[in-house]
Amino acid sequence: MSILRVENLKAHYVTRKHRKVTRVLAVDGVSFQINKNEIYGIAGESGCGKSTLLKAVSGLIKPPLEVVEGQVQYQFDDRDLDLLTLRGEQERREIRGVRISHIPQGSMSVLNPVRRIRKSFEDIIGAHLGIKDKREFEDMVRKHIEALGLDWNVMHSFPHQLSGGMRQRITIALATILRPDVIFADEPTTALDVVVQRGVVQLIKTIKKEQQNTLVIVTHDLAIHANLCDRLAIMYAGKIVEEADAEALFADPKHPYTEMLLDSLPIVGDRTTRESAPGAPPSLVHPPSGCRFHPRCPQAMERCKLEAPNLIEVEIGHRVACFLQEGIVDENVQEFDAR
Amino acid sequence: MRTSRNSTPGSINSKVPGQKLLEVKGLTKVFTKGQGLVKSTILAVNNVSFSLQRDRAEIFTVAGESGSGKSTVAKLILGFEIPTAGQILYKGQELSTLRGKKQFMQDVQPVFQNPFETFNPLKKVESYFLETEKNFARPGAAKKCLELVGLSMDEIGGKYPSEMSGGQLQRASIARALITNPSLLIVDEPVSMIDASLRMSVINLFKKFQEEQGVSILYITHDLATAYYVSDRIAIMLRGQIVEIGSVKKVLDEPLHPYTQLLKSSVPVPDPAEKWTSDIALSDMEAKEYVQKGCKFAGRCPHVKELCRIREPDYYEVDGRSVKCYIYEKGWDQSA
Repeated sequence: MSILRVENLKAHYVTRKHRKVTRVLAVDGVSFQINKNEIYGIAGESGCGKSTLLKAVSGLIKPPLEVVEGQVQYQFDDRDLDLLTLRGEQERREIRGVRISHIPQGSMSVLNPVRRIRKSFEDIIGAHLGIKDKREFEDMVRKHIEALGLDWNVMHSFPHQLSGGMRQRITIALATILRPDVIFADEPTTALDVVVQRGVVQLIKTIKKEQQNTLVIVTHDLAIHANLCDRLAIMYAGKIVEEADAEALFADPKHPYTEMLLDSLPIVGDRTTRESAPGAPPSLVHPPSGCRFHPRCPQAMERCKLEAPNLIEVEIGHRVACFLQEGIVDENVQEFDAR
Repeated sequence: MRTSRNSTPGSINSKVPGQKLLEVKGLTKVFTKGQGLVKSTILAVNNVSFSLQRDRAEIFTVAGESGSGKSTVAKLILGFEIPTAGQILYKGQELSTLRGKKQFMQDVQPVFQNPFETFNPLKKVESYFLETEKNFARPGAAKKCLELVGLSMDEIGGKYPSEMSGGQLQRASIARALITNPSLLIVDEPVSMIDASLRMSVINLFKKFQEEQGVSILYITHDLATAYYVSDRIAIMLRGQIVEIGSVKKVLDEPLHPYTQLLKSSVPVPDPAEKWTSDIALSDMEAKEYVQKGCKFAGRCPHVKELCRIREPDYYEVDGRSVKCYIYEKGWDQSA
């Protein structure tokens, strides 16, 4: 049962200067489904469009970001919702925080530096539930905070008095207090120390278990995905190149980019030589023709330069966008040999 | 005029048998914040000692979390900060006599975390190479160093830092550091700003320099996986102190200090079969650990005993490494 369905989504950053229009094709034709009650991961390098995808599907669409094409459909228990048809701030506010919520990357930019943490909680609860009674508010927050293993005393602190890890945990508590159906987390553990990072992963798992909601995690760190996610999509230059169950993806990566990414990861306890792929991620203003990975792909063929491969299901639940997986490879090789 | 690199008496290039390349003894740095009544002090580096050998180039890692003082150690060695106490000997000479000297600056070169901050955004990248070459090296040295990191003068020619990718620019910043033919590179988190798919291309460079150019490297990082991959020896820092030091294989394969054990088990493994199953305790007030008496890890340690909170442990030599933990004292199990 899916809770979110995205069809052929194209979200571009459009800037106009002296009638010259520049488009950054950050998300360019992405389709996927997220099932109810799962943790879905989106991985990729910086500049591959993963954060933009998250913004587009969670309704944080502000210029210069424009959704050019596509559909974002939510299916909540009691109603269906087409996110892109929402008009006006009022309609979006009703959805945000209650139905879908967003854990952003930098925790310092969420919490108001001149107000105590408690005030941030009052703001969000007041805006959505309209609770004015002090005791009712305190009960609700205390219950949530304590379920997450945080100390009630932090409520009286200012953001700068807390460590980065603590702030991140507060941000997560704030994003989940209204028990949203879908939670989007953008690099929730990046810039944290490893021990604190483990604590935050632990916290996310606790919330998921307690509230039974759906989580979408975006991070470049594949090790975090391995620890958290049920299913995982790999993005490259604005497109999903591979999607599968986490186990299948790590055990049997099928796209050359995924293989390369996994091969380059160093692991404690293994000193065998690891290589990076040649080249660098492309600019999204003028992405390469055909398959966007072809300039860096060791197995690139003539066809890859001309046509873009579709995301096709090669095994149950395992989708790959690569001609090598289409079974057409053999024909090409034969043609080449015949010449 | 170029300084001679031959062994003249008194220069840092004269070799004394058994001398260390870099020796750090009891290094301490105290930062003070505020003035008068609101003055507070932080012991960023607390009695740190280690050394790099001179006979054979090695890669030595200083690893720790943020706030462990690892970057301050790098700054102290580079001479950006003045130590509060302790000694830094470079090739047998006191650092305070070398600081700011051309010869020292040629011989010890830094590579910083963010390549976009390393280079002036308004200056062309090539100008750094041409200037350094003119002042400190033979003609052609810049070209040779760029080749070493897999770049060419054509690739960087005429470009500003913003026109290059992070990976490319970081490799350029490493090439720049190599022009003066240094004996020691101090690299502070060199890959944390670089894309995952390009990270190893930079890490592999360090291995190559060590093996082919005989350059020793002090690698400062929070990333145990790359540390394990590239380095020979490692020091684990916690709140300004080294808690475990020894060969990287021994320290990370079988960590002895409870903190190293926690750190290692907290490194996520990119394999869904090895998910974390146990829960950990987080310290809520991390700043308290700086001023804590006794062992800095006592507040979170599963093996803590009364003594740990009162008196700081010494280093114990166990299995070819030093561990700052009472567990390795004889009869500790029986004590209260």
